[in-house]
Amino acid sequence: MSRAVVDHNVQPPVAEEEHLRAQIYTLLARLLARAPDAGLLAALGGLAGEGGEFGTALDRLAEAARGSDPAAVEDEFTTLFIGVGGSERTPYGSYYLTGFLNEKPLADLRADMARLGIARADTVTEPEDHIAALCEMMAGLIGGEFGDGAVGLDGQRAFYDRHVGSWAGRFFADLETSPSARFYRAVGAVGRAFLAVEARAFDLAA
Amino acid sequence: MTRNAVKANDERDKGPAGKDGTLARRDLFRVAGLGAGALGAAVAGTVAAVPEAEAAPAEPQTTGYRETDHVRKVYEVSRF
Repeated sequence: MSRAVVDHNVQPPVAEEEHLRAQIYTLLARLLARAPDAGLLAALGGLAGEGGEFGTALDRLAEAARGSDPAAVEDEFTTLFIGVGGSERTPYGSYYLTGFLNEKPLADLRADMARLGIARADTVTEPEDHIAALCEMMAGLIGGEFGDGAVGLDGQRAFYDRHVGSWAGRFFADLETSPSARFYRAVGAVGRAFLAVEARAFDLAA
Repeated sequence: MTRNAVKANDERDKGPAGKDGTLARRDLFRVAGLGAGALGAAVAGTVAAVPEAEAAPAEPQTTGYRETDHVRKVYEVSRF
């Protein structure tokens, strides 16, 4: 079906399923960094899952996207992650792992980032252990975009276990049950389903 | 015939070290609904597009707060 679209003469730099992982991380990063605009919502509305827990979550995300307008999602994003006098969710690894922002997990992350050749963008002021930043890093590690290039599955796994898998699943589960969340409940479900697959897949590769 | 084909396939699966893991991973992704086209070109394209750098807002002609070079410097050095 989709076979006709694949040009076998062009060797992809990373295997198809690995490329898809990077795309999903990129999508999660985009949705958690700022609210989706009308164009992205429309594109999300056209998604059709391909079965399994992740596919079901994707279907729900598409449904949520079709039933949301950009202004409402923008408000929802603000309530959830920015807030007036405090946000509903705190999407930082350090907070989830220690109860405080800017704690040792952030220092550990910065050390690993330096080792892998990753730096925070000049225009960004949030600490690097924000979930969106970590998703971007995972996508970049899969695509071999940093430092000396591809780190391989072992390198990805080490980074994932230490900085993502240790808390992000709980964050996505929290997002799914956030009282103010509508659209972002579906995002939480997609993230949780995806990370569950990621964890199992890393085990298989070991 | 059929049995032979199946057997040959089995042997191929047991190929070099690491191959098993790769195939098992691929199967897992497929079963979990992460097929090759799961995200669709529209979403992948929209997300991959790097947002254009925002043009610096024009300096408002007021006597109120203005982000002068000095102010920007303060922001820069106070970054955590």
